[in-house]
Amino acid sequence: MDISKHDYLEKVLESHKMKHVSDFVSKHTTKRDEIKSELQSNYTGKIYIPINSGSYAKHTAINIKFDLDIIVPFKRDAFETLEEMFDSVYDFLYEKYKDKATVRKQKVSIGLEFYPDEDGEVINLDIVPGRELNQDQYLEDKKLNLYVNALYGVLKEKTYIQTNIQAQIDHITAKQNERKKIRLLKAWKHHNRETYKSFLLELLVIKAFDQANIDGDLWEKLKKTMEYIQNNVNQEGFTLKDPGNSGNNVIDTLNTNERQKLSDTMKRIIENIEANDDNIKIYFPINEKFEETDAQRGYGIKTASASVSIPPNNTRFGL
Amino acid sequence: MINIELLKETLKRLSFIKNINEINCEDSIIRGSIVILFDGLESSLNFRFEIYPPYPLKYHGSESIKFYNEDLISINHVMQDGSICIHNSHNTDLKQKILMDFDSLKQWIQKYYIDKENDLNYEHIVVEEGLVDENYYSYIFTDISHTFSEGDFGKVDIFPLNNAFYKDKVIQNFLVQKFVFNKSKIPCKWNSHYSNIQASEFGLFYFLDKHPAKMNKFIFNNWVEFQGLVSNVFLNYLHQFEKKFLTNSKGNILPLFFGYRTVNNEIHWQVALIKIGAFPIKGEAEILLDIKTGKWNTKLISSDIQWALVRDSSYKYFFGRGTIDKSITESKILIIGLGAIGSMVAKTLTRGGCKYIDIVDYDIKEPENVCRSEYLFQSGLCDKVREIESLLIAISPFVEVTIIKKEYFELIAKMLYKDMESRSHLIANLNEYDIVFDCTTDNDLMHILEIFELTGQIINMSITNHAQELVCAFSPNIYNFVNTQFSEILNNDLEDLYEPTGCWNPTFKASYNDINTLVQFAIKHINNIYKNSKEKNNFVIGTNADELTLEIKEY
Repeated sequence: MDISKHDYLEKVLESHKMKHVSDFVSKHTTKRDEIKSELQSNYTGKIYIPINSGSYAKHTAINIKFDLDIIVPFKRDAFETLEEMFDSVYDFLYEKYKDKATVRKQKVSIGLEFYPDEDGEVINLDIVPGRELNQDQYLEDKKLNLYVNALYGVLKEKTYIQTNIQAQIDHITAKQNERKKIRLLKAWKHHNRETYKSFLLELLVIKAFDQANIDGDLWEKLKKTMEYIQNNVNQEGFTLKDPGNSGNNVIDTLNTNERQKLSDTMKRIIENIEANDDNIKIYFPINEKFEETDAQRGYGIKTASASVSIPPNNTRFGL
Repeated sequence: MINIELLKETLKRLSFIKNINEINCEDSIIRGSIVILFDGLESSLNFRFEIYPPYPLKYHGSESIKFYNEDLISINHVMQDGSICIHNSHNTDLKQKILMDFDSLKQWIQKYYIDKENDLNYEHIVVEEGLVDENYYSYIFTDISHTFSEGDFGKVDIFPLNNAFYKDKVIQNFLVQKFVFNKSKIPCKWNSHYSNIQASEFGLFYFLDKHPAKMNKFIFNNWVEFQGLVSNVFLNYLHQFEKKFLTNSKGNILPLFFGYRTVNNEIHWQVALIKIGAFPIKGEAEILLDIKTGKWNTKLISSDIQWALVRDSSYKYFFGRGTIDKSITESKILIIGLGAIGSMVAKTLTRGGCKYIDIVDYDIKEPENVCRSEYLFQSGLCDKVREIESLLIAISPFVEVTIIKKEYFELIAKMLYKDMESRSHLIANLNEYDIVFDCTTDNDLMHILEIFELTGQIINMSITNHAQELVCAFSPNIYNFVNTQFSEILNNDLEDLYEPTGCWNPTFKASYNDINTLVQFAIKHINNIYKNSKEKNNFVIGTNADELTLEIKEY
């Protein structure tokens, strides 16, 4: 590789920045604000001010995959039950947007997938209704109960989870170093089609920075973060506390085999990159769509490099 | 040539040989006899021996020394001519070999004569292969889903495979296709190709309660030995059959199948060859209380039986010596692209016991494809799919091969994959496969298959020029991995390409050996992953600078 791994990873991060898709994001934020406003109007007196969540709000988004979620905090007495709350929000959104979007019930949220606009772009938003734990306490403790859609619940009996979205957002706030590594691991996750939850990766990175000595350049820090995951995620007694609910150990979302697999994967990534710098491109590819080239010094669609008489450089054989 | 005096001197060193009778040499074969007695043996045993010129070396895979005792043929591992079946150890030193061989005889006596041990393995009855009109005949059968009972008889549909040479004589090979019993057809479990061929010949079958053998190990050699084992109804049927076909088919050979149960209730068949007009039967007047009833019964007459060669080629035995893992052989497999890699994958999977392989390729086989793929020159120019189908069926009678229309991917999938309704149909079709091998090197197709997010496993395989590396990727992480490997990681030589005369269409350089070495290693690794339920990590097989060491790197 003709540049250092540090410089390469900076390019990876640069090519995944949200600024490259600002027009697309702004379509999302406009729609998000519209929905928030509709909800506030419809549930006047029963609702607190909805808050933004998801990777975009947490500044951990990458431009190939990002979430703009709306948390809708209701007052304790707004609904008799959480299910009633969930169904009410679904019914409202369905009536409001059924001609413009696919509206569906998800695990703890209502998903809105808007039909492609004139640019062929699709806006996705998740609306998460929550009800404060105790009457009039939300503004103070930020605690919410979320309804768990029975179709998705791990346990049939469990129909709600307690969370504190604000605490989850605060957990990542002002952690610029961690956010870089989170974005890199998210790029790895998406490009390599890994199925780990982004929330899990976030918590792992934050815990690595908290527990281990993560220093050096960008590659060194990423490597040490991955080493921390490799050495700890498969250990008995390892915990990942959900900042929104201290009773929730997020590592439990992986079984023993999955934890070992994650550890093995981290080990393999480090070994392969240490053996050959170029392997970093397999795991952490630059988003070619927004790659800054020396010639361009700008962003744009990468043009084909092959001429008509020379096979392109990714030519494969076997026929 | 062994020296008789040396033989005698050597044998005198063995204390269990109590007497050495006259030893002589005639026609380069040394013959003699010995008396054996040792502790544990109640009385002495006499054995003849014959030593052939190659001694102490083996010939035709058999020992060049034989021991005989015709009185012991009821004992395990004694042939009908009284020869003892012993597998001795290799030794080129004459004296040592003599000592070892005669000691092996002693060990055989201890194990099978004194201790009366029974081997765990089932041994088929011994059949002497017979020639009919200077031709051998063989019949290859497989399992059926039917349980016959004693006395059941009917018709057997057969059709000829290739004639060939067997022990320097012509052999006529036949495949047993189905049994017809009580007007029902009972098919043999071959693949649909062999099941659907029009049977051109037939035989008869009779199901026995016991092995048609003396001492349960030597097949009957005279028809009268069947007396009492086959029903009068069947013998009468044979008589009527012969009468019916005598005029038009006199002298034709009719295979007569005798079925019986072996280990685990499996059915085995032996086939006797009889000529129409010379059935080993005669009519005999029925007599009751010394008075002829006016009825005739059919009886067997004394005559030698000519037995054919028979092979149980059921899946269990056909692939008994080695298969790839069941999780692959039982899978429904699609192979897209039948070039060098695809044809090797197809053939390897078939030889590995896979049962369901669909294939697709739009390309034509040219003579220049032959040197580094599984195609044959003999078939000339042809659609690749057709030749591979023939090849796979020629290898395995158990693989079901279906050709997918060449437009399926090249036109339909590429044209319609963006249309959501069409895409859902394509995905539904492709989801019928458990494993899809993409051996096309087609980046467009690789992209389409990836976005389809199929439920089955896609395995993408391609190589670099000179077969330096083989890249194998598993869904869902194929497109990015493969492209990055080829464009950023591997040193893929795009200068030294083979450029055939004619239009610009350069291709890679590599021999059959270069490519197949990588492909076999890759399939071995894939098989290992399936067998041990390991993580399906993408991998690259690389060739070291010495070109003799292969290294696998998982990602």
